[in-house]
Amino acid sequence: MAEVILKDIKKIYPYVEKKTKNNKKGEPEKKHNLQITDKGVVAVQNFNLEIKDGEFIVLVGPSGCGKSTTLRMVAGLEDITEGELIIDGKVVNSIEPKDRDIAMVFQSYALYPHMTVYQNMAYSLKIKHTPKDVIDQKVREAARILNIEEYLDRKPRSLSGGQRQRVAIGRAIVRNPKVLLMDEPLSNLDAKLRNQMRAEIIKLRKKINTTFIYVTHDQIEAMTLGDRIVIMRDGFIQQIGTPQDVFDYPRNKFVSGFIGSPQMNYFDGKLLIEDGKYVVDVDGYKVTLSEAKQERLTANKIEPQDVCVGIRPDHMVIGKEGLEGMVDVSELMGTNAHLHMTVQNKDTIVIVPIINGYNDYVGKTVKLEFTGNLVHLFSLENDKNLEFINENVYSEVEE
Amino acid sequence: MESNNYQLIDRKADQAAKVKLTIERTLVYIFLVFLTIICLFFFYLLFVNATRSHAEIQSGFTLIPSKHFFENFQKMWNLSGMAPVRKGLRNSFIIASISSVLTTYFSALTAYGVYAYNFKGKKFVETFILLIMMIPSQVSSVGFLEMCNEMHWTNQYWVLIVPGIAAPATFFYMIQHLRATLPLDLVEASRMDGSSEFMTFNRIVLPIMKPALAVQLIFSFVASWNNLYLPTLLITKTELKTLPTMLALLRSADFANMDNGLIYMVIFISIFPVMLVYLFLSRAIIKGVTSGSVKG
Repeated sequence: MAEVILKDIKKIYPYVEKKTKNNKKGEPEKKHNLQITDKGVVAVQNFNLEIKDGEFIVLVGPSGCGKSTTLRMVAGLEDITEGELIIDGKVVNSIEPKDRDIAMVFQSYALYPHMTVYQNMAYSLKIKHTPKDVIDQKVREAARILNIEEYLDRKPRSLSGGQRQRVAIGRAIVRNPKVLLMDEPLSNLDAKLRNQMRAEIIKLRKKINTTFIYVTHDQIEAMTLGDRIVIMRDGFIQQIGTPQDVFDYPRNKFVSGFIGSPQMNYFDGKLLIEDGKYVVDVDGYKVTLSEAKQERLTANKIEPQDVCVGIRPDHMVIGKEGLEGMVDVSELMGTNAHLHMTVQNKDTIVIVPIINGYNDYVGKTVKLEFTGNLVHLFSLENDKNLEFINENVYSEVEE
Repeated sequence: MESNNYQLIDRKADQAAKVKLTIERTLVYIFLVFLTIICLFFFYLLFVNATRSHAEIQSGFTLIPSKHFFENFQKMWNLSGMAPVRKGLRNSFIIASISSVLTTYFSALTAYGVYAYNFKGKKFVETFILLIMMIPSQVSSVGFLEMCNEMHWTNQYWVLIVPGIAAPATFFYMIQHLRATLPLDLVEASRMDGSSEFMTFNRIVLPIMKPALAVQLIFSFVASWNNLYLPTLLITKTELKTLPTMLALLRSADFANMDNGLIYMVIFISIFPVMLVYLFLSRAIIKGVTSGSVKG
């Protein structure tokens, strides 16, 4: 168990190919949304994070956002271009992976194919010349925790995906690492197994006392596993917070869209001040914002302006007044239905509960209502949430 | 009703197809047996001639073995003078064994280095090694011979072992095998587990490369065993000569001293280890050659 601090971490991948003619002067340009300088492609920058002892941190973001690179820097598998990585009070930038006392679970499991499950799990201890009886005890203990005792004599190829993943986790926990790193460990499993393993990881966390850093592109994994979530995009941290904080108070439009499924709906609207109160107006449908939102907008001295209004699909209801749209498709999910409709020429999804039988809305025009405490207002200029426009990515809302 | 339907089913076409298939298969097998006979015929002829005396061989061709096998063997075993075959066998065995083990190990190590590490000039190194493969050894042999003379490296085992370790073809085979079978995650996992780079290679990479190692071990053993060119140039001391050089010497003897029965026996003995190796390791060879083609 250890505290991990990432201080101003930056990673630049130097050019492999020769520079193109356009980039001769070394001017920064944008390509694949990652910043490119004359030194190379900047994969991660301005990464500041303090991970507490025993905390479960999830790095989440779309592919190419730098989350795996960050994890690999912590592991020691990638060099750190700038900044400091501190584990348990010691700077470890130049320390070899084997001397950092951390373990990693790979997406591909990376089990040694010629060794049995037992040998796979015992390998790291054997290298350290641990006495045989201690190895045996530790391997069997880890196998018991992960329910793989009966497979100890098997080779990895005769195991299923889920079992292999358990072995990979077993190999990591058997040596009680200070930090346990997991790089998309569940993404090779089918949906059912993934749910099962997710629960297993939550259980595992209670059993072993260590700091976790978990990388995923799946926001459900991030929400269910993490004590705190770090949302990344194009090498930058977008927001750090507890799952609920990130869901309720997204600091920008990207976070609001990335966290939550189905994705948040966005409409063109106006922020007005009427009778001294902030009111949001979407196509003439006006809603007064909640007190908390009023306070935050007032504190930030937000002027009336055109805004992007974000509302989650489950925060809208079909009512007598509101935004008008025609239902194109209805997806039945059992307890509720996802209605796909077009509002302001944009695809919009609304989740309606099915309580007293299913009401077929397809082809009908309906009106969508929402309340003032569940709307999010994003600046058209910089996509930032107007309520938190002056805050940095690290702050959390305390209610 | 059901039985009526059953009788109505037309089986003529199916039966005709069955007959056709049987004929086709028979023809294919006959052809394959014929090819096998052609391949084995010369080995059989070699064996037959090794059992015959010089006079019998001179008198003409036959497929029936004679009685002089042990006589020829004894003659070969007791050969001394310019071609002591027993020593030749020993020399060939020592050189081929050591050189095949070293060639295989170091080629695997080089291939692993080029495959698993990122360094400047990596592509150049790989291309350069492959380029060497295109140059026949005869072209560079004059310079090589001169270098060996300068270094006083002639008439030693090592001169046949050490230069052979740099085997571009083996390297090429190994790197292709690594690309197909070794995910770099395994190397990283091993690093995280605390093993050093050499330990990772010896304990994780080598076992995964087993089929490829087996194939290259056999191929380089056979290549070294059969090598005539370099030993002829570099070894002049009789007691250090390898089997192929001795065989060449025996064959070039004048008519008065020539013993064809003895020569056939030496050839027979010289291909015997190679045949044994292929016989026992054919499974590993097939596995090694096809490995990586199907994800396993």
